[in-house]
Amino acid sequence: MMLNVVIDRPDARRLPSRHRFAVARLIGYILLGRARSAVERPEHLILSIDRDQTAVEMHLTAFWAFATTACYIAASLPFALPLSIVLSVPLAAAAIHLPIVLGGSILRAFIGDGNHIKIVSVITMALLLIASSYVATTRSWARFVAWLFFAILLLNSVAAVILWLLRGSVQSAEERCVR
Amino acid sequence: MTRSVWWRRFFVRGVFWRQGLRFAVLNVPPWTEPIVMAFWSTFFLVWGPGRRGVMRNLKVIKPGSLAIANLFRCYRVFWNYAWTIADNVRFKELRTIPDWEFTGREYFEDMQTRQGAILLTAHMGSYDLGAHLFSETSTRRIVMVRAPEADPQTREFEEHHGVDSLRIEFNTRATELALDLLETIREGGIVAIQGDRVTGSISSLPATLFGKPTTVPAGPFALALAARVPIYPVFVVRLGRRRYRLMTSRPIEITRSRNRDDDFARAVEQWMAELERVVQECWFQWFTFEPYWPEPAR
Repeated sequence: MMLNVVIDRPDARRLPSRHRFAVARLIGYILLGRARSAVERPEHLILSIDRDQTAVEMHLTAFWAFATTACYIAASLPFALPLSIVLSVPLAAAAIHLPIVLGGSILRAFIGDGNHIKIVSVITMALLLIASSYVATTRSWARFVAWLFFAILLLNSVAAVILWLLRGSVQSAEERCVR
Repeated sequence: MTRSVWWRRFFVRGVFWRQGLRFAVLNVPPWTEPIVMAFWSTFFLVWGPGRRGVMRNLKVIKPGSLAIANLFRCYRVFWNYAWTIADNVRFKELRTIPDWEFTGREYFEDMQTRQGAILLTAHMGSYDLGAHLFSETSTRRIVMVRAPEADPQTREFEEHHGVDSLRIEFNTRATELALDLLETIREGGIVAIQGDRVTGSISSLPATLFGKPTTVPAGPFALALAARVPIYPVFVVRLGRRRYRLMTSRPIEITRSRNRDDDFARAVEQWMAELERVVQECWFQWFTFEPYWPEPAR
């Protein structure tokens, strides 16, 4: 079995290749090679090179997606705000499952059993985008959350452009790190 | 299909949840994973026997602890369990490996260079993932011994979705298995056994954990004595999202004397000291959902 790993290089934790979103990849690139002595050095270390490997990035993105969904649901409920916020928490958790369960099942029926993560991810993000586009145009307090959503998307797009411009130096920094 | 069989798939150890986990691994975007994990960890807190089992064990591990605090600790156990079983299925289905750190590397390497050894572990962290990874990266042949799934459909599902390179043996056919394992060790292979709890009618040895009497499987100790190989305590501890530590401790050597019971007692004592140290540190990853210590008679 071929494993895409880096062995005994603690600083490789910051490799841009271990991050999914452009902002996180750019931060990884900036931090790569800095403060090497401060990195914890265990006896032996095997780091996987996978774009979904970093915990902070994934937890922050999950929190952002969850909080955004919960805000949209709370704003649309016909109850007093505190009650709506309380109710929005389980409803948002259930809502986030919908594209996974429905999308996954439909994909399985049409494409067959297998890895559908990429398509489900695109569907989920597209649904968030559609919901944000709608909420951003309303007079509800949740429009600020929708604007924040678009601001983060814009920030990620800017980071993607910067990364594309720096692609040569990012690649050589990664190669230096894993060498 | 009878009505009882149809319902069985939805029991907590039923095949429905294994199928659901596989579906999730193949469909959940990683950036929504923490939400899904938090939701299902909360859902499984409704599983009364499991929750009560963990809370009762926590009461012994953390004497004087409050029930409400142990309920939150129980949630942490369920949360860690959800991540570890997902990581295991992710490896089997997508070949995604987590990050690994090693402690006690000298013992781990010593185990690999020896002609045969016993790897003794516990129901902690991702022991399955550790064994699978080890089997695919090591030159040594590894045989994992474990209790079979209670549900026949679940057992069939797990056999169908297993990793080819890892040989799994079930501890139900004691005598023939002992001979097979002895042969494996003599051929230079490594036998991995979970040595923290006794399931079914397998033979056991008396032990003490957290000052309370219990029993541990006798198999690994008898096998070590017969094969004249050391036992390496190995624990796979989850450090965070897709991040594990493989901890190998000083090997347990079973020296032969005139009194076999004393030989076993010394080895069991060393194993229990190791297990207690790790469980004390990583109680949130000791996946023992049944009460470990029997309730004292009233």
